[in-house]
Amino acid sequence: MTEKPLTFEAALQRLEKLTVEIERGEIGLEDSITRYEEGMKLLDHCRQMLAAAEQRIQKLTANPDGTLNATDAPELGKSNRPAARDD
Amino acid sequence: MTRPPFDPNLIKTSADEVRPAFAATLTVTQLTQLIKRTLEERLPSTIQVIGQISNFKRHSSGHLYFVLKDERSELSCVMWRSDAVRLKFNATDGLEVIATGHIDLFERSGRYQLYARRIEPRGVGALELAFRQLRGKLENEGLFDPTRKCALPRFPRRIAVVTSLDGAALRDILQTLLRRFPCVDVLVYPVAVQGPSAAGEIASAVALLNANSDQLGGIDVIIVGRGGGSLEDLWAFNEEVVARAIFDSRIPVISAVGHETDVTISDLVADVRAATPTAAAELATPVRDELTSDLARTARLLLRHLTHAIALRRASLTAVCERSAIRRPLDVVQRRDEIVDDLNTRMQQGLINRMHHLHRKLGAMEITVLRIAPQAFTAQLRERIAAAEHRMERSVTRNVHHWERRLNDRAARFADIHPKRRWERLSDRIDQMTRRLEALSHNSVLRRGFTLTRLSRGRGLLRSPTQVRDGELIVTDTAGGSVESRVVNLKQMELFDGP
Repeated sequence: MTEKPLTFEAALQRLEKLTVEIERGEIGLEDSITRYEEGMKLLDHCRQMLAAAEQRIQKLTANPDGTLNATDAPELGKSNRPAARDD
Repeated sequence: MTRPPFDPNLIKTSADEVRPAFAATLTVTQLTQLIKRTLEERLPSTIQVIGQISNFKRHSSGHLYFVLKDERSELSCVMWRSDAVRLKFNATDGLEVIATGHIDLFERSGRYQLYARRIEPRGVGALELAFRQLRGKLENEGLFDPTRKCALPRFPRRIAVVTSLDGAALRDILQTLLRRFPCVDVLVYPVAVQGPSAAGEIASAVALLNANSDQLGGIDVIIVGRGGGSLEDLWAFNEEVVARAIFDSRIPVISAVGHETDVTISDLVADVRAATPTAAAELATPVRDELTSDLARTARLLLRHLTHAIALRRASLTAVCERSAIRRPLDVVQRRDEIVDDLNTRMQQGLINRMHHLHRKLGAMEITVLRIAPQAFTAQLRERIAAAEHRMERSVTRNVHHWERRLNDRAARFADIHPKRRWERLSDRIDQMTRRLEALSHNSVLRRGFTLTRLSRGRGLLRSPTQVRDGELIVTDTAGGSVESRVVNLKQMELFDGP
C-alpha cells in the first residue's frame, strides 16, 4: 500500500502541533529547527495543494451495472450569461 | 358496515322519461341498465363530493376502496390504481376530503359508486398535507435527528453536484466554487429535478455516488438541489425515496432547494441545509485566498517561535558567560596569594618589632650596669655585654631566617602546588563548558547549513533587504568560512504571501 499524500486537513493539524512545540520551548534547539524545517515543508505542501489545480469539472453518467463514468465537461463551468441568482 | 341497498326512489325523477315500452315488467338487467343510463344522463359527468373517509382499504392491486360519509349518508367510493399513484398524501379514516369523480352503477352488484379520480384534503392542500404526513413519519423514525448529521469536511477535494444541467442552480454552484476554492474537483450528476422521474433519479444519484465514491477518487460532499419554483416543481425533494437516499448517504449531503423560504423534506434530512444553491457552494468550501494568507501567517509564526527559541538559548549562554568562574578564573588563586603576602608581611614586621624591643631592653641594662658598677668592672662588663649582644643578634637573625623559610614554604604551598592544581581543575571545567556552549552557539547552526549574512564594514547582521543597496558588499558566514558577495538584485517581499 503506497503512502497517501497528507491531506490538507492533516497537514494543518501537524503544523499546529509543530508550532505549539516550538513555541513552548520545551524541546531542544536542534529539535526546534528540525520541526521548523518540517513545518516549512508542510506549508509548501499545503500551498501547492491550494495553488495546484484550476477548477476541474466532470460529468457523470450511470452505466447499467451501477458504475459511473466521469467525462471532463469544462463547458459546464463556462457561462455566457451572468448567473441568475436564485435568491 | 353495510352499504345501502340501491334505492329506486333516488332516480324517481327519471322515471317520467322512461319510455312506455319499458313500463311493463322488466328483467333485472333491463332495469339495471335503465338506472345506469338514467344516472349517466341525469348526473353531471364530474361530481365533487365532500365527506369523511371511512373504511379505507388499499387493495394489493393498488386500487383504493373507501366510504365517504357525513352525518346522515354514506357513499361507496373506488379509486383505481392509475389515479391512486398520483395521490401524494396518505388517505386515512376520518380525513375530511373533497373527492372528484363520477357516479356509476356496478351492474353485477347493483350498487352505485363514486369513481374518484382525485382526492383533496379539506382545508389544506394535498401537497401540504403530504408534506406534513411524511415529515411526521420520518421525524418519528429519527431521520432528522441532529446527532445523525455529519459534519462537512473543512477542505473538500471533490464535490458532487446532483441537479439539472439546465438550471441556474448548477451555474451558481460552479461559479461560486470557482470564486472561492478553485482547487476543488466538481462531479456533476445530471438529473431531472421535476416531473415524475425526478425523485427516483435524485435518489439513485445519491446512492450511486456513495457506491462509486472510491472509484471516483473519494467524494467529500454531495450537493443536492435546484433553483426556485412552485411547490409542485420542488416536489421531488419532498419524496420519501429522496429523503431515504440522503439519510443513507455516508457522504455528507448539502440540500439546496429553491429559495430561502422553501423548506423541503430533503432539507430536513440532509446534513446541512443551504438556503440557495449559491449558499450550498459557500458552505461546502473555504475561501482559498484566506487559506493562503493563513498559511503565510503560520509560516511567520513558526519563524517567530524558532527565533524566540534561539534567543532564549543565547540569553542563557550569556548568563553562563557572565558568571565569575568563567569571566575571572584567576580570582580565586589571586585571593590566596594576597593572603600569603599579607601573612608574610605581618610576620616579618612582628620579628623586627621584637628585635627592636630586645635592643631597647639591652640598652637599658647597659646604662644600669654602668651606673652601679665600679670602674674596674667596666671593661669586662663591656666585653660580656658585647658578646651577649652578638649572640642575641645571631639568634634573632636565625629566628628571622627560620620564620622566613616557614613563610616561604607556606607561600609556596599556596602559590605553587595548590593553586596550580586548582587552576588545572578550573581550566578543565572551562573547557567543558566551552564545548557545551559551543553546541548551542550559532556555529552549530552554521554546520547544519544555515548561513549568517553580515553587512560590510562591521555594520552587523543583514536582517532585511532595506539595509543594503544594489552593488553593496555583503559577507556570508558559513560553517566552512566566509564568502564575500555583491548585491545585484534587491527584492523586498512578504514571506510567503501570494501564490
